[in-house]
Amino acid sequence: MEWFYWLVPWEESILVVAATGSAALFFLRGCAVARPWLHRKLCFWGGLSLVYLVSHTQLDYYSQHQFFIHRLQHLALHHLGPFLIILSRPCPVLLGGMPSRMRQAFHLMAGWKPVQYLAHILCNPVVAVTLFSMLIGFWLLPSIHFTAMIDWRLYRVMNWSMFLSGLIFWGLVLTPGPVRLSPGSRIGMMLAIIPPQIVIGAIIFFTSHELYPIYTICGRAIGGINALADQQIGGIILWIHGAMMSAVGILVVILRELMLAEYPKNGQKVA
Amino acid sequence: MNKNFVNKNFGGGPNFSRRRIAAGLVIVLAMGACDSTEQGHVKGVTGHLPDLSFSLTSDKGQPVTAKTYEGKVLLMYFGFTHCREECPISMARLMRVMHLLGADADRAHILFVTVDPNRDAPGELRRYLMQFDIEQATGLTGSPDEIGRLAKRYRNAYRPHFPPGGDGDIMHGDAVYIFDTQGRARLLATSADPEETLAQDLRDLLPA
Repeated sequence: MEWFYWLVPWEESILVVAATGSAALFFLRGCAVARPWLHRKLCFWGGLSLVYLVSHTQLDYYSQHQFFIHRLQHLALHHLGPFLIILSRPCPVLLGGMPSRMRQAFHLMAGWKPVQYLAHILCNPVVAVTLFSMLIGFWLLPSIHFTAMIDWRLYRVMNWSMFLSGLIFWGLVLTPGPVRLSPGSRIGMMLAIIPPQIVIGAIIFFTSHELYPIYTICGRAIGGINALADQQIGGIILWIHGAMMSAVGILVVILRELMLAEYPKNGQKVA
Repeated sequence: MNKNFVNKNFGGGPNFSRRRIAAGLVIVLAMGACDSTEQGHVKGVTGHLPDLSFSLTSDKGQPVTAKTYEGKVLLMYFGFTHCREECPISMARLMRVMHLLGADADRAHILFVTVDPNRDAPGELRRYLMQFDIEQATGLTGSPDEIGRLAKRYRNAYRPHFPPGGDGDIMHGDAVYIFDTQGRARLLATSADPEETLAQDLRDLLPA
């Protein structure tokens, strides 16, 4: 039962349980109706369990008390998790699995003007790229980071904002979606998020003093790694791995376009 | 091939590159310039950390709660008596802060919360604190879970249960959590703060 220890939440959050639980339930029910391909199911379950594991298990303790693990957590919440979930094109399956009243409520909400305006703004490519990049920079401003790591409410806002902005961004660029952006602009958007991540990662890596003393003040989870080494590993993760997700995304879009060009009927299967 | 391949926003036009450079510059400038800690003051945490609340055993073996110390400015530190590195240094620093406070020291109190409750019984804590010659200090102990809850409440790295296969090293930070006379978290002092600054900021928390 040793593995069970790792699954015990470090800090319980009803919102995380409710959100992942209902997404899992709707997807399971939806699978019976929509019958998605196996690779779509794998992507969805992989993405959802990754997001759950990094935010609602003992791993959260390490994210709160070790800077580089905090960066890995955000890599999962902002990049890999939403990326996999979007890759599974879950919307039709989730809608299919919802109780009919809830589905009607969603349709009703989608008709409201304020919701339409908000969606219009958030789905604008410039806004999506700016939001995606600025959120990384914002939560890594030393004073903001300090406060986010001591205030549990702000800490949760930080993690949720990262996950939601990830969903919006990858939702816009990986699939044509309702906004119908051209493949060129979607690739452009993925290229546009690379430089800010490289710049922020490089600043963190090359700074010779401790930018985030909160980890020293409250104590580190892993002994034997000093403050600067922790900071440098965190910087490298943002610098290289964050930007690497764009490369994978671009490959997915290119592959899908090639498949659509050669086999218009089967191309839909990819991505 | 899609006709709209070159989108108006991302066609490589001047808008796109200018925006990227501007965004990069904003981030660089903000990261370089932003540090809200006022020079000469301990970091303020008012409204961000919860009010003091605990139910533990004092070094005299009596049950105590946060209410016991109401009316005093409290300095809470997580440590353990067998610690050879940070704890003695931090306690020596706090001792000097108390001396700097002079007559005001009677209205302040240090709470040394052990993160090694299995070894640090009340008597052990009493003996340890007597070495530092501070009257206004109390050692607190309790069950590992009670102390774990208190540490988690203040985002301290101590946790009562180690992962399977872990070496059981005791992790704790060097933070001194400072509460005002009503038990509200006000300041988060570290080993980097000079004792004079800490003493001055503590005086500011004392009611006139």
